[in-house]
Amino acid sequence: MSASDILDVLNVQRGEGAPAKKKQKTNNGKTQRQSGMARELYNLLGPNTPPVSLSAGGGSSAVKDKLNLKPSPWSRIGFTPQKSEKGKSNLKLYHWVKGSKELLEQEAIEEKPYFFDKFDLKPDIPELVDEETYDRLMEEIRREKSKNSIPTETTNDDTKPASNDNNDNKTTELVNGIDKEKESRADSKEKEHKEDGDKSPAETEWSYEETKQLFVLCNDFELKWHAIFDRFTYPGKTLEDLKEHFYLLCGKILKNKPNVNPQLLDSLNSYSKSKEIERKQYLENLLTRTPAEIAEEESLVVEARRFELAAKKMLVERSNLLTLFDSPQTSQSVQQYRSSQGLTNLYNSLMIMDKHQKRKQLSFQKGSSGRDPIPPSIPVAASSSFKKDRGFQTHLQQYLSGLLKQNQANNNGIKQEKSAVQQLLAKKLTVKEEEAYGLYYHANEKLTPGVILRSGQRLPGLSQRQSTLKSVSSLLQELDIPTVGGTNWKPIMPTRKTMTKFDELLRASATLLEVKKAKDKLESEIKLIKSQRGLQ
Amino acid sequence: MSSGGNTSSVYAGDEINAIVLDPGSYNTRIGYAGDDFPKVVVPSYYGIDKNDIAKSNAPGGKTRRVFGEDINLPRSNFETNPILKDSEIQDWDAAVDQYSHYFNKVLKLDYKEQPILITEPVWTSNQYRQQLIDTFFEKFDFPALYLAKSPTCISFQQGRPNCLVVDIGHDSVSVTPVIDGISLLKNSMKTNYAGRFLSDHIQDLLAHKFPEAKIEPRYRIKSKNPTVFPTAADYTTKPLNENITTSFDDYQKEKIWHEFKESMLEVPEKKLNNLNASQSNSIKEFYSSDANKRLFELPTGQSVELSLDRYALADTLFDPESYPFHNADLNEKYPPSNGEISLANTFDDYKPLKRARKAESNQSTPPLSQDDHNGNHTEIRGLSSLISSTLSSVDIDLRSSVAHNIIITGGVSLIPQLTERLYTELTNSNPGLKIRLHAVGNSSERFNQAWIGGSILASLGTFHQMWVSKEEYQEVGPDRILSQRFR
Repeated sequence: MSASDILDVLNVQRGEGAPAKKKQKTNNGKTQRQSGMARELYNLLGPNTPPVSLSAGGGSSAVKDKLNLKPSPWSRIGFTPQKSEKGKSNLKLYHWVKGSKELLEQEAIEEKPYFFDKFDLKPDIPELVDEETYDRLMEEIRREKSKNSIPTETTNDDTKPASNDNNDNKTTELVNGIDKEKESRADSKEKEHKEDGDKSPAETEWSYEETKQLFVLCNDFELKWHAIFDRFTYPGKTLEDLKEHFYLLCGKILKNKPNVNPQLLDSLNSYSKSKEIERKQYLENLLTRTPAEIAEEESLVVEARRFELAAKKMLVERSNLLTLFDSPQTSQSVQQYRSSQGLTNLYNSLMIMDKHQKRKQLSFQKGSSGRDPIPPSIPVAASSSFKKDRGFQTHLQQYLSGLLKQNQANNNGIKQEKSAVQQLLAKKLTVKEEEAYGLYYHANEKLTPGVILRSGQRLPGLSQRQSTLKSVSSLLQELDIPTVGGTNWKPIMPTRKTMTKFDELLRASATLLEVKKAKDKLESEIKLIKSQRGLQ
Repeated sequence: MSSGGNTSSVYAGDEINAIVLDPGSYNTRIGYAGDDFPKVVVPSYYGIDKNDIAKSNAPGGKTRRVFGEDINLPRSNFETNPILKDSEIQDWDAAVDQYSHYFNKVLKLDYKEQPILITEPVWTSNQYRQQLIDTFFEKFDFPALYLAKSPTCISFQQGRPNCLVVDIGHDSVSVTPVIDGISLLKNSMKTNYAGRFLSDHIQDLLAHKFPEAKIEPRYRIKSKNPTVFPTAADYTTKPLNENITTSFDDYQKEKIWHEFKESMLEVPEKKLNNLNASQSNSIKEFYSSDANKRLFELPTGQSVELSLDRYALADTLFDPESYPFHNADLNEKYPPSNGEISLANTFDDYKPLKRARKAESNQSTPPLSQDDHNGNHTEIRGLSSLISSTLSSVDIDLRSSVAHNIIITGGVSLIPQLTERLYTELTNSNPGLKIRLHAVGNSSERFNQAWIGGSILASLGTFHQMWVSKEEYQEVGPDRILSQRFR
């Protein structure tokens, strides 16, 4: 029995998933046998996707396919891998290629370039000029350097890394290389000026031979500077020397050519050797730290992070507080509260919210004392449960007063239509009036949400042991104090006053009974001791 | 498989079955590129009849050399000579003879069909390289060849373009930074505190500690009964040809040391000869304990028991200075070395600068030669200090990536606990760097790592543009080819 059968039996309608499932089933019909899974078990999977891949077997049909296939021919043919190189190299190598010999030979005649030829890229490096021009350019560079060793630096600093959005694709490689270096030594300008003055006289000189080797190496090693520096044979040059010389000279050579990307020129000229050296020095210092220093630094970082976190926490708390002070905004329509049902719902939810807030505050005050800097706690009077002020009105109050105002505005002319309740709410009542109307503020009492009848209220004085309650009841009967009777410990007319009085009475009588008990006990003890000492 | 047809594939290989030749000081490896293991691994030694040497000097004389397993047969008047020293070919005739023996008789090559890739160490001079190329083009008919630096090959084997290759071989320990697959020659270091050094130490120790124990090469033994050292060895020898040469005997004894290295040595956790005497004593005590004792059976059947010494022997790699040989001759064999390689200029046509006046104005000595002056007579660098000093010489931008990719390779690196010791010492001496060591788990791959790397390199489609054909070599000339093509 499959899952679809079950669905049919239960008369469950299948949606649009059904046709897809059917298809799947037919597909799986084959793999089912191969995968070796019991058919019944497989059927129970139903439209669910199988937890394991069942097509892994693949087995017999794949083999059969292979048997039916005609083997495709592979042939060993020669090729010349270096076609791009001047075309004169006739090195012939042999490899196996799919396809018949005739076809491939046809291709060979068509001079198809070698597949990996496209990876043979050369960097675009300007040709080195002849010796006279070189001398002239070097003279120029030297003059520039001595003339404005400081001014050029400042202008160079301002040139931002070029964005290579132009179409000169080949030069981007060069630019990228320089950009990276520039980014890495972005800071500490002031120091640099001082050092610049010191270093420029000790500038290393470059002969034409050296420069020639440098350019050859740059070409061979595709501007991998570490490799270039490694293979550079003339002594007394640092890696930074090589870079500076190459970039400066390239800048000069390119300047004299038409259609040069000006951004490239800028970035070529902005290489600063002293900054590069400084950066490396700084890195070197970082590396030579002792383990103790590293540990200290790490601990400092951790501490700093903690401070940051604390600050962030405080900010969040502060903003919470601010929103608390702010009068809440009505975000949705009040239409849903217009029915009495909606009104009770709203009221209940408000009460719950209120309680939560209170509890939160309490726990917060308890928990957070002595910890991180805390904002001053909110006085109880300011909390939403104690609203007298207009600013602390709940949604209901707002709604009600809003309603009143609206009514006032609407029915300005028809004053007599104001109901008594409305008038009452609009007024500010005195204590006496409140008493008269039975208004009472439950300041710190716990109230269960919803409407409660006082007759159903359980008095706090009743939280006594059953035995004491019994004796209290008999005492009350002796004293002829009327109660509702039975298990209900209530005065017959449960007004607020009588209720409190009754409560007091209960407590008092319970205490009295306890005292009497203690007294009896003591007396009997005294008697006992007396009898033991033979005083009687 | 070729990717000439299917452009969509990312498979970078294009196998042309090039030959890869990796001559090492102990073993030479030959095989086809694209394979995962060399077809031929043979000792870099050959056997030759003494009389033949005299004959060969006469014009038209023909020598018969034996290679491979054949050299182990004791024959009278047969010398066993090494072909290479420090991974450089010393005996050119023998080398050509050996290679052609394997090319023609074992692999049965048709030279025309494929090029050859030869690995070379980083310290080869240009004259040597030129001779190598000349010899190969002259003696063999390969259409093209390529010289690959062995650290480059090793970096390819591991697939790490930026790494520090520490190759602890038979003749030499070398440390080479590889950047973007290019070996940096100026930063490379090499000492001789390697496998042969260990062998000599073992020999020296056994001769000193167990003078009565007889060291007989295995081929002389006919039968034996196991004994333990103070008891005399109990064995009978084979009747053998007369006039067995000392070189043959030494070569056979080398096998004992080899076995000793494989079975006995273990690197101690810390330096045994510490400055702090009490500390080093406690370490020594620990390694002398019974738990660390081990027996080694000599070919005569006599076993010798060693505990501290087997750790001390391995410790010589890290601290060669503290372990002088008992035999003074051996001390001279290993002059103190700080590992720096004096490089012959790649550009031989170095002439005095044209602007002599200006050149004089900045006669600042290069940093490398300065080091030479300071280091030559003072510092002896053991393994970890060799690596540390290489690391500190590498450009600061590369140092962290290189330190994070240190590849340990070579047969001697298989001594237990060697990488662990290296790791602790390197992390202690370079607190700012994050050190990570990579060593292949498979021991036979560690022996042949350079060959495998060469095999990978020579089967890459993009590599085939790098081959240097005979015509190109003749046309362009050795200088340019050496400096520009074989990087």
